[in-house]
Amino acid sequence: MRNLLTPGRIAIVLFFVVAALLPFFVDARGHLLRVAAMVLLFAAVAQSWNIVGGLANQISLGHAAFFGIGAYTSTLLYLNLGITPWLGMFAGGVLAMVAAALLSLPTFRLKGHYFALATLAFAEVMRVIANSWAGLTGGPVGLTVPFAGSQPWLFAFRSVASYYWIILALLLAICLVFHLMATGAIGYRLRAVRENEQAAEVAGVDTFRVKLIASMVSAGLTAVCGTVFAQFTFFFDPDSIFSLSGISVRMAMIAIIGGLGTLGGPIVGALFLIPLEEYANAQLSSQIAGLSQFVFGVILVAAILIQPRGLMAFWPKRNATSTTQPSGDKK
Amino acid sequence: MTGDTILEADRIRVVFGGLTAVDEVSFTLRQGEIVGLIGPNGAGKTTLFNSLVGLQKLTSGQVRLMGQIVSGQRPHRLARLGMTKTFQNAALFPDMTVLENVMTAALLRSDLKQARMKAAQVLERLDLSPIADADVTDLTFPQKALVEMARALATEPKIVLLDEVMAALTPTEMDEVMGVIRSLRSEGLTFLVVEHHMRAIMSLSERLIAINFGRLIVDGAPAEVAAHPTVIEAYLGHGAAGESNHA
Amino acid sequence: MIQALIDGILLGGVYGVIATGLSLVFGVLGVVNFAQAEFLMLGMYVAWFAWHYFGLDPLLGSVLSFVIVFGLGYVVQRTLISQVLKAPPSAQVFLTVGLMMAIENGALMLFGSDFRSVNVPYQMAGFRVMGLFVSAPYFYAFIAAVVLSILLWLFLERTWTGRAIRAVAQDAMAATLNGVDTNRTYGIAFGLGVALTAFGGAVILPYITVSPTVGQQFVVLMFTVVVLGGLGSVTGALVGGVVVGIVQSVSALFFPIQLQNFFLFIIFIAVLALRPQGLIKGA
Repeated sequence: MRNLLTPGRIAIVLFFVVAALLPFFVDARGHLLRVAAMVLLFAAVAQSWNIVGGLANQISLGHAAFFGIGAYTSTLLYLNLGITPWLGMFAGGVLAMVAAALLSLPTFRLKGHYFALATLAFAEVMRVIANSWAGLTGGPVGLTVPFAGSQPWLFAFRSVASYYWIILALLLAICLVFHLMATGAIGYRLRAVRENEQAAEVAGVDTFRVKLIASMVSAGLTAVCGTVFAQFTFFFDPDSIFSLSGISVRMAMIAIIGGLGTLGGPIVGALFLIPLEEYANAQLSSQIAGLSQFVFGVILVAAILIQPRGLMAFWPKRNATSTTQPSGDKK
Repeated sequence: MTGDTILEADRIRVVFGGLTAVDEVSFTLRQGEIVGLIGPNGAGKTTLFNSLVGLQKLTSGQVRLMGQIVSGQRPHRLARLGMTKTFQNAALFPDMTVLENVMTAALLRSDLKQARMKAAQVLERLDLSPIADADVTDLTFPQKALVEMARALATEPKIVLLDEVMAALTPTEMDEVMGVIRSLRSEGLTFLVVEHHMRAIMSLSERLIAINFGRLIVDGAPAEVAAHPTVIEAYLGHGAAGESNHA
Repeated sequence: MIQALIDGILLGGVYGVIATGLSLVFGVLGVVNFAQAEFLMLGMYVAWFAWHYFGLDPLLGSVLSFVIVFGLGYVVQRTLISQVLKAPPSAQVFLTVGLMMAIENGALMLFGSDFRSVNVPYQMAGFRVMGLFVSAPYFYAFIAAVVLSILLWLFLERTWTGRAIRAVAQDAMAATLNGVDTNRTYGIAFGLGVALTAFGGAVILPYITVSPTVGQQFVVLMFTVVVLGGLGSVTGALVGGVVVGIVQSVSALFFPIQLQNFFLFIIFIAVLALRPQGLIKGA
């Protein structure tokens, strides 16, 4: 039983409890709850990224593509065919998984940067297509999700709190998926692939398949987050939803700064980075375009310079898995 | 004690750029054999091993496992079919414990729960149970080599390619490991062993294959191979691998 | 159709030079420089300012771009990139990505987001050759690219530094043993690589407008060229550039211009899937 109540686990459970209670203590129409919801959403997105970037150690620089695919698929299905985003969400997820598979199959055989390149290029291509295929996607002006009052079966709610709880549930679900993958048989296999791919192969691990699964799960979940994002913000456009620095790099940074490959990492990272960004934007009143991204870039460079062996080395070896002993024993 | 043909190396050639690392090497292993592979450093032994398990692409030639052509297939498929190897410098998974390392290999044929039990059993067999929960980075070199071997055994192989498992072992430890290898052999496993400890490999193997410069020199009984002039020259000429005790 | 082919070749020559820089950096340092396109943008700005304040034609301004960006690149390599040469790929990826973000947004803050373009006398001009129209800006840019390629070849083949670069690319340890200062060589190679890309950016100023985000348009293109030609192969990049230029032009005949990047991407993935070492062998 002692394995169940590690400090890390307690902290995470506590987090979810506090988060669930937040709307009762905060003005439901206020700005704070919105920001909190965005923090949770980005934590969810970062956790999805964490599955392929952390567990499988395959750096994707184009997860915005899956995010956008989710948003566009559910919204277009709704606008054109009246299909509820609850279902559209799954369609988006499936499309994203197929896309991820197509990107992974050629690149996972090769060195790490090819996957990064391919995902980066893919997101850029998605952005360009969304911008130019106005007939389908509405073009550069983006898409607006119509709101006609509270229609829960159509994923439309009156209060911010409803969205907030849905996002929280989404985060919880993704964390569960992460946890199951990290601690299950596939978790061991992914760790082996991360730590010594050749030895893993020889020990019988199908390294491609395992990386492919991580990639597809990650993409699918990211797409679902995209749908939720669209429903919550009611509007998105190609340049922002397929954005490299605004989405792809941001979600990677959240996962990395919080602790790459760990369960709590994306949560910690989002709690830290998103409010920081909001604060910075508020202070500068967005006067200087590009400042926050510039600072992001500088922070990223600085972080790598301080610890070239990778940002994971910043934190004491925290395992994503529960393993055979209490996590406190690991150094 | 020997049975059907397990492994056939058929004119294996591995060429990198201008270098022919393995040059038309052919041999056959029967089930239950313990065959030693000897040759001076740089003779091509590790490259040969890598080409057998699928880590290295063959320029030409074939590898057949129990009659089935396996050359060109990925190592994990070969592991599933029953062939695996150990790495020369113990390529363990650094962020895992000893047990976890072995479990990962056991996952090839079992689910998580069973894998844990099987891994514990393998560790027990090699007398490694006391260090089951240790981080592999804390192990001594000989311990790492043994864990590596445990991991190979956890894949429930039919044939294991051992790459210098006994370097840096004390004589007692060596005897123990040889005992394990022999007992595994009596259970039907086949071994192809690379070892620099001449005495160990001579006593362990019932057959020796000597290679140098990627080419097969001779393949036969230990005494005969040891007395072979080209073999002697290869070793003396290169400063004799002999009884070196360095890792 | 032939018209498209001509255009494609002319454009492609420049793409080749742009991508050669990327390939060189990878070939010598082993780093995939995600910030490469930002140096293209910087090269364009340098040339633009040279034109705006001194009336310098971009074709000449490109030399200035080359020199300035070379210096910048050298410094960047010695201070930043060198720290991650031995680090895991993820560190390299994020360092150059961070650099990309910093440079692009730094430019945004310094120069603002307006699009700027040059006005040169030959901008709309061209020659009629056998009934086909050869655009002057395309042509001059192409010539400049060819000249630079030749100079590059001479440099790599005939000068000691150039050979040092090739030696380090093949075997850094051996190069050190032969008296090569690898740190300096890496710096020079990186500087050279980004300078090439910057030069390419400068010469196309007559037909491409510059803004802080202009690099993004070229990212997919650059990487496709490099993958086509084989990461690390200079000749490959040049040939790949021409191929991409042709594909771009020809596809523009049948498809909306924005979908070009899509086709490039298809090629990119296809090459990775079928022939990852690139279509051209050798460096």
